[in-house]
Amino acid sequence: MNARDSFAGRAATPVPQGLIDGPFHQRLAALNHARAWYDWAGYAAPSVLDTVEFEYFALRNAASLFDISPMRKFRVAGPQAEAMLNRMVTRDVARLAPGRVAYVLWCDEEGMVIDDGTLFRFGPDDFRLCCQEPMFGWLEDAAWGFDCAVTDETDALAALALQGPTSHAILKAAGLDLGDLRPFAHREVAPGLAISRTGFTGDLGYEFWGAWDAALPLWDRLWEAGRAHGLRAVGYEAVNIARIEAGFLTAGVDFQPVHAAERLHRGRTPRELGLERLVDFGKGHFNGRRALLAAEKRGPRSRLLRLDVEGHKPAQGALIYHGRRREVGHVTSGTWSPTAKRNIALAEVRAPWGTTKSGDLWAEIYTCEEGVWERRMVRARPQRAAFYRPARARATPPADF
Amino acid sequence: MSARYDAVVVGGGHNGLVAAATLARAGRRVCVLERADRLGGMAAGGAFPDGTPMPRIAHLLYNLSPAVLNELGFGAGGPVETRALPTVCLDPEGRHVVVRDGSPVLADGRPHPEAEAYRRLAARLVRFGGLLARLADAPPPQVSERLADLAGMRRLGPLAALGWDFRKLGRGDRREFLRIVLSNAHDVILDELSDGPLAGSLAADAVRGAWAGPRAPGTVFSLMYRLARGGGAALPLGGMDAVIAALADRARSLGAALRTGAEVTEVRVEGDRACGVRLADGEEIAAGAVLVATAPGAAMRLAGPAHYDIEAVRRLRNMRAKGTAAKLNLRLDGLPEVPGLGPELLGGRLLLAPSVEQVERAFDPVKYGRVSEAPVIEAVIPSLTDPQAAPHGGHVLSAIVQYVPHAPEGGWTGAARDRLRDVALAALETALPGLSARVTAAETLTPSDIEAATGAPGGHWHHGELSLDQLLTVRPVNGMARYRFGPAGHYLCGAGAHPGGDVMGAPGRNAARVALADATAGEAAA
Repeated sequence: MNARDSFAGRAATPVPQGLIDGPFHQRLAALNHARAWYDWAGYAAPSVLDTVEFEYFALRNAASLFDISPMRKFRVAGPQAEAMLNRMVTRDVARLAPGRVAYVLWCDEEGMVIDDGTLFRFGPDDFRLCCQEPMFGWLEDAAWGFDCAVTDETDALAALALQGPTSHAILKAAGLDLGDLRPFAHREVAPGLAISRTGFTGDLGYEFWGAWDAALPLWDRLWEAGRAHGLRAVGYEAVNIARIEAGFLTAGVDFQPVHAAERLHRGRTPRELGLERLVDFGKGHFNGRRALLAAEKRGPRSRLLRLDVEGHKPAQGALIYHGRRREVGHVTSGTWSPTAKRNIALAEVRAPWGTTKSGDLWAEIYTCEEGVWERRMVRARPQRAAFYRPARARATPPADF
Repeated sequence: MSARYDAVVVGGGHNGLVAAATLARAGRRVCVLERADRLGGMAAGGAFPDGTPMPRIAHLLYNLSPAVLNELGFGAGGPVETRALPTVCLDPEGRHVVVRDGSPVLADGRPHPEAEAYRRLAARLVRFGGLLARLADAPPPQVSERLADLAGMRRLGPLAALGWDFRKLGRGDRREFLRIVLSNAHDVILDELSDGPLAGSLAADAVRGAWAGPRAPGTVFSLMYRLARGGGAALPLGGMDAVIAALADRARSLGAALRTGAEVTEVRVEGDRACGVRLADGEEIAAGAVLVATAPGAAMRLAGPAHYDIEAVRRLRNMRAKGTAAKLNLRLDGLPEVPGLGPELLGGRLLLAPSVEQVERAFDPVKYGRVSEAPVIEAVIPSLTDPQAAPHGGHVLSAIVQYVPHAPEGGWTGAARDRLRDVALAALETALPGLSARVTAAETLTPSDIEAATGAPGGHWHHGELSLDQLLTVRPVNGMARYRFGPAGHYLCGAGAHPGGDVMGAPGRNAARVALADATAGEAAA
């Protein structure tokens, strides 16, 4: 041992260089024929394991496994945990029953969305919040003055998403019959292993939450059970198509989490993201409530729309025009939806074109075919419902496929 | 529910009383609730064991707001008769300096060699202080709001007036103001004067009550702030207690109810609006508005952090408030014979700050939780000026001792308190030899005792350091500078609000005026 490796006689802990392995890495690495990894919160996460098409169609027509362990996971527990969370998030946490999960948002003092996530309630005084952005410091601030403790479980809790129409059949084959588990419900099925009927694909699906060091046996159990049900491991690219179809937002893509935005006025209110149904002004004070009430009076500055775009070229990054001339917004996420058979996009469009005058919108799309660039103006029609919202996602008990 | 008022004021210090009187004068039904058994807060008096009155914490008036005096009908003379005191800069070598009306002479009557330089410097600082005084009588300027409406334009009035005053300063003064306003007292003073008791006294005035030595940036600003009304210190006849009594009488005669021994434990909030208070004994008092004269953090806790945004709570709990001033009150059976200081000068404002350098050195130990061995002291012997100050004979000496930590190493034990008293007495002894032998009773109040007695965090006089990051539009904290404090109908009216501490009354008055404007707007809308 030389001097560089030791300090005061103790062996130095090696500092990991580059991306680190998640709890399922051994299995994912063996399956990652594409060798396509990306950085998800410092973890090596697969963007594609085989091909996007195979993975996407497995997700929609059979079942998919996707490692979501890099999500941030925080336990909030204590006599005032409910009060603390109710002051932070915009929904009424008092109405979230134990055993249920809620999709929640939280805003800064100016009413701009900090992040969104899922809130699990285990008991009267015990919650878990899962989200995309680092949030421990914020939660510590939010918990000041409340009798509750915040624990960062991010690196202790492995999480795995099993999504797709055969996911319930796979559960049964794995000896986990959760036929009565309703959407947005969760249950502890074994000590240290919880399953929630949640997901990021808009389809029938489940998420597993268990100890980091018990991750591989969980993977193997599901993998074995899925052999006869078309189960595939998938990467983020396939999941991304599914989530755009479902109309779900990604922080940093469809909106700028305000704590990560450095420029003025980059934050967005829940209404501007189309999420005003998640704001409960009647429940008492919550962070940003006064600013949001003022914002309600002024009206939204823009609106995130779901657009049905003409043609088949994905509109990712396209500018949006009104009457083909006036630039009024841009596409935040765009893809061809193989299931809806439509060219779909999420787009931020300025008021009033995104709010009250949302007709006559056009997307400017550039195409390059064998070295020749062309610019096309194509119709972009706002639509209310998600592009893909199968009834099987909500049926209880779920059907076997 | 026992009663209903238009407004309750939590805290019966001078700002609470001024707020109550201002509201009552506008015809509002007001009740002041004071936790202690006597009104006054920092200005409340006490008594020595023999019954002689004691100026417990505050002992002089510097800065009482003319707007307060005017509106509450006291006239320019103020609520009580006062005596302007000369400042006596004590010199351990015996070359004491006396400053009257901004002009120094040596105590033996000879001219001071730097009199002209001092006069010029002091006059300039007083002139600049006047600019700041202009800002004290209105909520701090708010430049971020939209100017589309007339009300928005009107709110910019004080800022426009300040701009006009600033122009009127003339080019040389304008440049000088901008050159020094953010700098440190040490450099500005020693640019003009040689170091010694006269320079030291200015440095001491710049940092009184502050967690800062004269080399700290921002101390020129606090010196100007202290000099905003001319810089003269006045001894109220009958003590600070008489000032409080006069304010209380005025509030009462205008119809306000004043209650002592009434500890508010909660500001009640319904529908994001303050609707009353709950007392320690469970009594509830309903009110249309609640004005809180406590420190900002305590005011937030009274309503509960759940009613504030997370960022606001973070800022409030990180507001810097580390008191460094202790109080030593001495009962004397007589005065020592001090060569060169007759009774007239001994009755002045005695400043023990032998040099700017020593004021800076005195600050160093407090950073490490220790008491200065050579403290900076402002002392007054009110009984030489005011016969009511020692009705049973003898004398009273009131001393502000700096720098003293709020939480010293080992805590404030009885022994630590005794040592503080001995250190302060030894320091006074260097300039007033024979003083210790005349002491018959002494009370030592550490910053921690001041916090216990008044609730001021850290025992800090101004409820929060008067530093550049906690002044004007960011006092008490960014986003809460205009007295409205979280839920509608909840206001901060104590020294933690703009313009800040000293027995000034401006925060109480300004907050009451904002509350009145809100109430009037609410009634017009209803």
